Amino acid sequence: MAVDLKNRCVTDRRRSRLQASVLIGLALAFSQSACKPKRQSERLTVASAGRISSLDPALASTTGVLQVLSALGDTLYIRGTNGKLQPQLAASKPQLSDDGLSLTIPLRRDVLFHDGTRFDAEAMAFSLNRFLRIGSQRYLLSDRIAAIETPNTFEIRLRLKHPSSSFESLLTSPYLTPVSPKAYADHADRFLNDRFVGTGPYTLNSFRNTQQRLLPFRNYWGTPPNNVGLDLINLSNSTALFGALISGEVDVLLSNSIDEDQKRALSERADKNLLRESKGPATNITFVTLRTNRPPLQSQTVRRALAHSIDRRLISARVSYSQREPLRSLIPPGLRGGKTEPWPTYNLNTARKLFQQAGYCSGRRLQLPFTFRTNVPSDRLMALTWQAQLKRDLPDCVQMTLNGVESTTVYEQLSKGAFEAVILDWGGSYPDPEAYISPLLSCKLSEGNICEKGEAVDGGTFWAAPGLQTALRRSDSLQGKARLKELATVDAMAAEGAPYIPVWFVAPKAWAQLRLNPPIFNGNGLVNLAQLGERR
Amino acid sequence: MARGRELFRYCATRLALAPVMLWLIASLVFLLLRVAPGDPVDAVLGSRAPEAAKAALRSSLGLDQSLWNQYSNFLSRLVHGDLGNALINNESVRSIISKTLPASLELGITALIISAVLGLTVGFSGIARPEGKFDFAGRFYGIGTYALPPFWAAMLIQLVFAVMLGWLPVGGRFPPSLIPPEGSGFLIFDSVISGNWAALQGSIRHLVLPACTLGLLLSGVFTNALRLNLNRTLKSDYVESARSRGLSETQVVLRHALPNALLPVLTIAGITVASLIGGALLIEVTFSWPGIAMSLYESINQRDYPVVQGIVVAIAALVVMVSVAVDLLVAVLDPRIRY
Repeated sequence: MAVDLKNRCVTDRRRSRLQASVLIGLALAFSQSACKPKRQSERLTVASAGRISSLDPALASTTGVLQVLSALGDTLYIRGTNGKLQPQLAASKPQLSDDGLSLTIPLRRDVLFHDGTRFDAEAMAFSLNRFLRIGSQRYLLSDRIAAIETPNTFEIRLRLKHPSSSFESLLTSPYLTPVSPKAYADHADRFLNDRFVGTGPYTLNSFRNTQQRLLPFRNYWGTPPNNVGLDLINLSNSTALFGALISGEVDVLLSNSIDEDQKRALSERADKNLLRESKGPATNITFVTLRTNRPPLQSQTVRRALAHSIDRRLISARVSYSQREPLRSLIPPGLRGGKTEPWPTYNLNTARKLFQQAGYCSGRRLQLPFTFRTNVPSDRLMALTWQAQLKRDLPDCVQMTLNGVESTTVYEQLSKGAFEAVILDWGGSYPDPEAYISPLLSCKLSEGNICEKGEAVDGGTFWAAPGLQTALRRSDSLQGKARLKELATVDAMAAEGAPYIPVWFVAPKAWAQLRLNPPIFNGNGLVNLAQLGERR
Repeated sequence: MARGRELFRYCATRLALAPVMLWLIASLVFLLLRVAPGDPVDAVLGSRAPEAAKAALRSSLGLDQSLWNQYSNFLSRLVHGDLGNALINNESVRSIISKTLPASLELGITALIISAVLGLTVGFSGIARPEGKFDFAGRFYGIGTYALPPFWAAMLIQLVFAVMLGWLPVGGRFPPSLIPPEGSGFLIFDSVISGNWAALQGSIRHLVLPACTLGLLLSGVFTNALRLNLNRTLKSDYVESARSRGLSETQVVLRHALPNALLPVLTIAGITVASLIGGALLIEVTFSWPGIAMSLYESINQRDYPVVQGIVVAIAALVVMVSVAVDLLVAVLDPRIRY
């Protein structure tokens, strides 16, 4: 009897456990179906990283702001998916004068601003002059533009200080998007942060730092958007962005700010046909900056040895699961106009020979302090991998020590020559090789191979080379193939001098839910938000 | 009557010291920001902008003036209640604070209520049998939640409840498909006032995860404080005396021990407000909660001096106010306190 009672107790306990498990299971299943966020509108929800503190094009610099501006406004020209310049608010390609100092741009006649006023040459001139007065990156324009003229209502003429073939690309930048002179009358000399009145396919319906609503502009001159509107949300961290897409809370995720493993997880989902993934043109390059004005990296042989010693494929695989592609040029591949990769590939034998030529490897090791930015996770991983790789490959030639420094300190100390070798990155302000090579290689005053004043000092290389500045200027004044050839020369000179060692480039990615069209990037690396919509 | 005078004098002293404390904090923040490496001009123009452009901006922002000039300008503006404008977009710091503070207060107050209810319930549950299972569990809970790293706990909770189960939103403060109701900035309050039930539901859904996470992390303090105080109170003479009068254990605990044990907990609640702000920083960043702590975090990264200074002064003022209020409340509730 006692045994029976005991058995019954055990059976009862098992039964109640089973019941509890079933109940929990049911509750979870119910929660999965009932508590999932319900779609409350037909608008698409698009998530990106970082808050938007201002929608004023004069202040725009971050990708997030440029992305919103590209939906709210139009530019004179746009770089298409194929990288070619296409007129947007301009009626045709710019007409360049024979001396290359005057650019005449005919404008479309059928364009209205969101406030109903007409877009014309005066409005374009107002916007350009406003940018020249208060724009945070006004130096990009003021270095080139001598005067802005409006010969007639639908034609604008830009007088240049010197011939500049990259100027056309500059005109594709969303921070030069025209704004309505009427709406900005009180803000001609100050920023208007929470409103935007432009000519784009969307109007701004509501603005908060973390949420913006965009509705189609009924009187848009071009193709109307594929969707009924957009709710843009800005989340602050990678897990939130990743989770929001996975849980179906957002329809589209635009971001380069998510962690590498999460990026890989999203790519794997796309491979399994659970998401749509798109990749844009490379806009950001990462490189090692070498200080060339003091020993030991004053020696070009040592710098070239280091350039041969870096195994980009291994580093990219360890740091980013090979998602960041190895780079052997200062110009991102989409802008290069060719396949020139002047920096050497990983070659241990050549690296060892060069180190030996410089007097290392035979009982003497190069002591190389390598600085990385502590707030950039991929920098730390890159530094650790390169350090380990050098220890494996050239233990008798180089000893690398690592220093972690916060990025703001790195930028502040660069021009003071504080870092022997430091990993940095750069994204051009507009899609043109000039926006990469000029900020990295320009020098205003030099003596021999040492730059004393200019961008090369600000960038921490202090490197100059005879004929480089002339080649730089020439590359911006030439057109077509002649320009490409000159750009290749500049890139090759930089590779020979090796003040930088390019490591990888990053192409922006976007992911969309399966029911939507895959996002399409333009040549500026921005997604065409108006094209997003249900798949038909 | 004499006690009332003492209390008044105490309050007056505390309130008179508050501006001095705020001045000290503001000066310290001003100095620390200038000593810290980094340049706000880099944040505005980018690190590779030409030196001439940087110099022009530095001059227009007044950053090229001597440290003393900058400090005296800052103090004179502060005295007049002017916290200045953000360097990044020229928005007034007062406007930034008024936009973000309600979000943080909404989160903080809800988290404080959750932590107090949860912490006190767990702390109280073990009291029937000291050293028993509940008491042990309560002790473990108190230490465990206090020791839990906030960012890790927040990410784990976000991953389980938002990403895996999909019960609640991953982040943000309001559903993107709705327009937040206008008003005080307290979205729950504004939704109720405007009778916008969809907005109310959306606000609550977004508030649950960050508030519960923050509440959970802070509840251990209440658990431990109540456990210790209640144990001590239950051993005191007046409780023994109540027992000897034949009162039931429930009456002894609820009428005599608990009210006395709760007084120190009230003081701890005041101190918790300061920790709440520290904890809120990580919670706001993890859950993309657009509060004042998140603004502070972004402004520090951008070296936006006026915004950092303004927010720190605002938070310090809040902590001072809460701490004075709690002291007054404790003084009113506990007649044994002398000043």
